[in-house]
Amino acid sequence: MKKRVVISLFLAAAMTLQLAGCGGSKTSSSEASEGATSEAAPAASETQTEGSAAEESAAGEASGATETAAGSYNILVMPKLTNIPYFQVTGEGALAAGEELGVNVIYDGPTTADAAQQVTMIENYITQGIDAICVAPNDPEAMKTVLQKAKDQGILVIDWDTQADRSVTDASVYNVVDKEFGEHMVDELVEKMGTDSGDIAIITGGLSAANLNAWIKAGTDYIAEKYPNLHIVTDPIASNESQDEAYAKTKELMTAYPDVIGILGYSSPTGPGCGKALYDLGLQDQVALVANGLEDDCQEVLNNGGLDTACLWSCDKLGRLAVATAVAMLENDGQVPADGSAIAGWAEPVISDGEHDVFLTSGGEDFEKK
Amino acid sequence: MKFIRLLREKHPNELVLFLIFVILFAVMAALSPDIFLSGANLQNMMFQMPEFGLMALAMMAAVLTGGMNLSIINGATLSAILAALLMTTEWGKANPLPAAVIGTVAIVVISLLTGVLNGVMIGYIGIVAMLVTLSTQLVFEGIGLIITKGNSIGSLPAPFLAIGSAQIGPVPVPMVVFAVMIAVSYFLLERSKWGREVYMIGDNETATRFSGIHTKKVLMLVYVFSGLLYGLSGVLITSRYCSAKTDYGSSYLMQALTAVVMGGTDINGGRGTVAGTILAVMILQTVSTGFTIHRVDQNLVNIFNGLILLFVLSVRYITGRLIDIKKIRARQATAEN
Repeated sequence: MKKRVVISLFLAAAMTLQLAGCGGSKTSSSEASEGATSEAAPAASETQTEGSAAEESAAGEASGATETAAGSYNILVMPKLTNIPYFQVTGEGALAAGEELGVNVIYDGPTTADAAQQVTMIENYITQGIDAICVAPNDPEAMKTVLQKAKDQGILVIDWDTQADRSVTDASVYNVVDKEFGEHMVDELVEKMGTDSGDIAIITGGLSAANLNAWIKAGTDYIAEKYPNLHIVTDPIASNESQDEAYAKTKELMTAYPDVIGILGYSSPTGPGCGKALYDLGLQDQVALVANGLEDDCQEVLNNGGLDTACLWSCDKLGRLAVATAVAMLENDGQVPADGSAIAGWAEPVISDGEHDVFLTSGGEDFEKK
Repeated sequence: MKFIRLLREKHPNELVLFLIFVILFAVMAALSPDIFLSGANLQNMMFQMPEFGLMALAMMAAVLTGGMNLSIINGATLSAILAALLMTTEWGKANPLPAAVIGTVAIVVISLLTGVLNGVMIGYIGIVAMLVTLSTQLVFEGIGLIITKGNSIGSLPAPFLAIGSAQIGPVPVPMVVFAVMIAVSYFLLERSKWGREVYMIGDNETATRFSGIHTKKVLMLVYVFSGLLYGLSGVLITSRYCSAKTDYGSSYLMQALTAVVMGGTDINGGRGTVAGTILAVMILQTVSTGFTIHRVDQNLVNIFNGLILLFVLSVRYITGRLIDIKKIRARQATAEN
């Protein structure tokens, strides 16, 4: 009897862990892969200069030296969770920027995308005494009270990657401008297809993801206006933020609509997932694929031709920009860096609305076959 | 001295846990006295512990009968979501105070109903508790997701939000709720007739039934009581995070089970004390806060908690064996005389 109970306990534990795992990774990737809802489009020009990491850090150091005396600020940079590649890379960027600028960057976050754990950790960090919080909230609502508390204590509050409630933040660091990013992906697809007429399809991470929907809407509006001969064969197909599902759905899609010659993939698992499906089907030359994806995750499909262009942004730069913005604001009385200005630790001119929003890029960044 | 000896003989397990807690607390305090022992930090801990502690008690009630309750988190979040819908209606916005009161009551009542559902399936129909609560967990989560589409419901009335942040003197209101429920749990489980029956079922359900105890009803009430505890936890969570969402507190499920087992409750039922569970909750809270304050990698918290659990279980096993050997020797001695 006892044995049975113990065995069933283990089974249950395993099952729960699995469930927790599924849920966790689902939310994590959905929220981690991308996240930006911008209202104010910045009056910014495209500043997409691809500099090597070395150049960039050299420039960062140089400007850091001129700025001087960043002091020993304590800056907490908190991702939604620490255990996924996306947020590990952003962390590397944040820590590197901290080292260059001579500030103390703490990159710490929950191990699962649990809002409760995130709030608890921020509460504990506030007690420790820190100068700035950069947070990628798992849930803007849940974060409101604790961020307000931080603000009341004079801590600089910045959100990055995903936006918190606007009333409790001093600045927001966005990945992309939704509209430009959405339009850019369409342009890229047309270029890769080599024609602006034909059947195309959309595969998305989830039907309720606000940022993905914003990109899709920007893209479809743009198609209706600029490429009237492109025909979207069906509503966006949801792949549940999973690479495996993106793979399966792509195969189904190509069976149901063999005439499709271009696919747009939204959310970062679609790049490697859809790309692998097209390659396995032997369609890498017939069907163009432009999809979101992390640079490292996409190398294989970019090389075999399954994926033509991976559109996202560079994650380590995102972490770097969050820290650079925080330091600039701490140094400058909480003023958001002006558009086109130079700040320490950031090699390029800042893209900003000058009041609240700072942008990593306007149209994202493309990763192609190396 | 007499008191300590009594404690050693009657409650060796609680004594070990208490010592671990004191040592951990002292170490954390010694490493950074000005931060860890600061009023703000101690208050933080008192704000954070109740929601988790109530979940642990909710789990413990089920484990005492040899069962388990995997639906504690989703039962609470579903109740919170439904109550949040009520509180964010036009009426709720116009009448914040009544809405807050009704919302609070609604969370508890709906949680009680989820408890009744679990209780009927487990007690009256007789399905294994783990399977029932695994199923209901999925059902509660699914309903919550359908209602919210995975988003959170915010803009709750201000008086409701006060529950999670108010304090009486230096003591946070959540801590008061927690303290009251510790007392209630102690008296119901360890001092009442019903509590005795709960432990008996955990030891041997068949024998308990044949001794004329209405085991079905007792079991049912265990899950209703569990519902009350996670319902109150749900009130605190919803209020502290100003919103309701299906996955709030998702990390508490396994932690609650950890606290229960670490606290000395037999996973097969029949043994365990409220004090043990509470001490385990305090240990886990100290580790979690202390590690964050000392900027230790969060993944190490899990490893450390696992090691504490292994240590406690080993100590418990070894002392159990030693006591057995002692008894056997004593018996042999009397037999020889």
